[in-house]
Amino acid sequence: MAAAVINTKNQLKNIILFMCVFAFAKAYSQTSQDSPKVYKKRVLETIEVDFLSSYYSQDGDNAAVSGGIGSEELTDVTGTIVVAIPLNDDDVLTIDASVSAYTSASSSNVNPFDGGQPADPFVASSGASGADTWANVTASYSHSSDDRNDIWSAKVSISSEYDYFSAGVGGSYTKLFNEKNTELSVSGNVFIDSWSLIYPSELRAPGNGGDDDDDDDDDFNINNYTITGNPNYAPQFIPFNSSGRNSYSLGFGFSQILHKNVQCSLALDFVKQQGLLSTPFQRVYFADVEDSFIENFQLADDVERLPESRFKVAVGGRLNWYLNETFTVRTFYRYYFDDWRITSHTASIEVPIKITDKFTLYPSYRFYNQTAADYFAPANENLSTSDFYTSDYDLSEYSANQFGFGVSYTDIFAKAHIWKFGLKSIDLKFYQYDRDTTFTSSIITAGFKFVMD
Amino acid sequence: MIKKLLLMAMITFFFISCVVVKEYEKVNINDPDMALSEKKCDRNLTTAHSYREAAVGANGGKTGGGCGCN
Repeated sequence: MAAAVINTKNQLKNIILFMCVFAFAKAYSQTSQDSPKVYKKRVLETIEVDFLSSYYSQDGDNAAVSGGIGSEELTDVTGTIVVAIPLNDDDVLTIDASVSAYTSASSSNVNPFDGGQPADPFVASSGASGADTWANVTASYSHSSDDRNDIWSAKVSISSEYDYFSAGVGGSYTKLFNEKNTELSVSGNVFIDSWSLIYPSELRAPGNGGDDDDDDDDDFNINNYTITGNPNYAPQFIPFNSSGRNSYSLGFGFSQILHKNVQCSLALDFVKQQGLLSTPFQRVYFADVEDSFIENFQLADDVERLPESRFKVAVGGRLNWYLNETFTVRTFYRYYFDDWRITSHTASIEVPIKITDKFTLYPSYRFYNQTAADYFAPANENLSTSDFYTSDYDLSEYSANQFGFGVSYTDIFAKAHIWKFGLKSIDLKFYQYDRDTTFTSSIITAGFKFVMD
Repeated sequence: MIKKLLLMAMITFFFISCVVVKEYEKVNINDPDMALSEKKCDRNLTTAHSYREAAVGANGGKTGGGCGCN
């Protein structure tokens, strides 16, 4: 009996001793964790919400859908919301959602024979392909190290429109050093895209190779029309056998503070694309095939055929100079080349002018030029014996000038409120873009930034 | 190509050797207009350029995804 009591006491002693050691160890470990209390500024102080919108319009006489001849008229309205949420001191989740609605005269002429008026490449038809909606959602997550010298980020995205779907993943790593005067980064992205193959209506007609099984209810029957020019219209059209397009990009970045008023950056991007790089509804008219017409519209000899691979290299630099409290100069230059033998130069300058502590003006100018792709030729100049051909003027030789002007309102105290959100800034900008061809475009952009109280 | 990359590397090391600007001297560098990226409200403009022009990349804009075919 006594032995049993002693045994129980020993057990209790052991338990108490174990609990004391555990409690001491726990307390010591908490003390040692908490003792070096280093102040760590949050990467993002509070939730930020950006509302972005734009109205884009363009016009020109070289629509790719009608083989390089026809109206390029297009309008697009885009709305975007970007919400950045700090998850803790180090991590930020950003959700970015966009919806874009457009109407396009050239796209409407995928089927120009929809009645009501004579088919004409310079007149928009009323077909279903004349308007569409594009939607995109991107989620990104970033983590910064305690000393804020290492930043990792990852993102996933999905976008969709009637005849196209895209899914993407990406990531990046940024390293700051030299007292945060120098920054190096590497990033990678993969996009897996797929087409719903839609061909020009005359090529979808029975006997012309394409199957008219899309659901745009065109009901086009070539036998109901009188063909002029060469009445024996018999295109040698072969549908594409794949509908996927993959893009892989690898980017390197470097930025450096040169002076307390000057900083610059360099970027080097490699992009590899594989798969269906042709647009299946863009017509081509051959020089060595007799022309056939229905009404005023020339019938396709084929659709554009482009290689299933493209490798792009872009190297660019920025130099920003804070001249004084009123003027800042922002410059950008990029050299680009790819294995379709396109080379390009882009140069731009913007001079923000602070006219008060709240308002800034943004005059800007941008120059762009490019050489033509090996496979480009204007309408009726490609040869049917070539392996690859296109009359898409976006792949032609041209130069372009763009002038812009904007104004921004900034209230660093975000006094104006909507619910719990304070208005921090408003940006309004307008840009006019003119090529040395017939193509012109303009865009109005607006941005509203809110921060949560 | 190799020569160009070597030149970039040399420029990079040249920049790194520049004088170090302390945190308290970065008031002007931290001005929003000094950011080495496009403003958010210019994003749709950059996207329009990437659709209408052959050149993409090296500007923070998109380098893939989407057809831009209209």
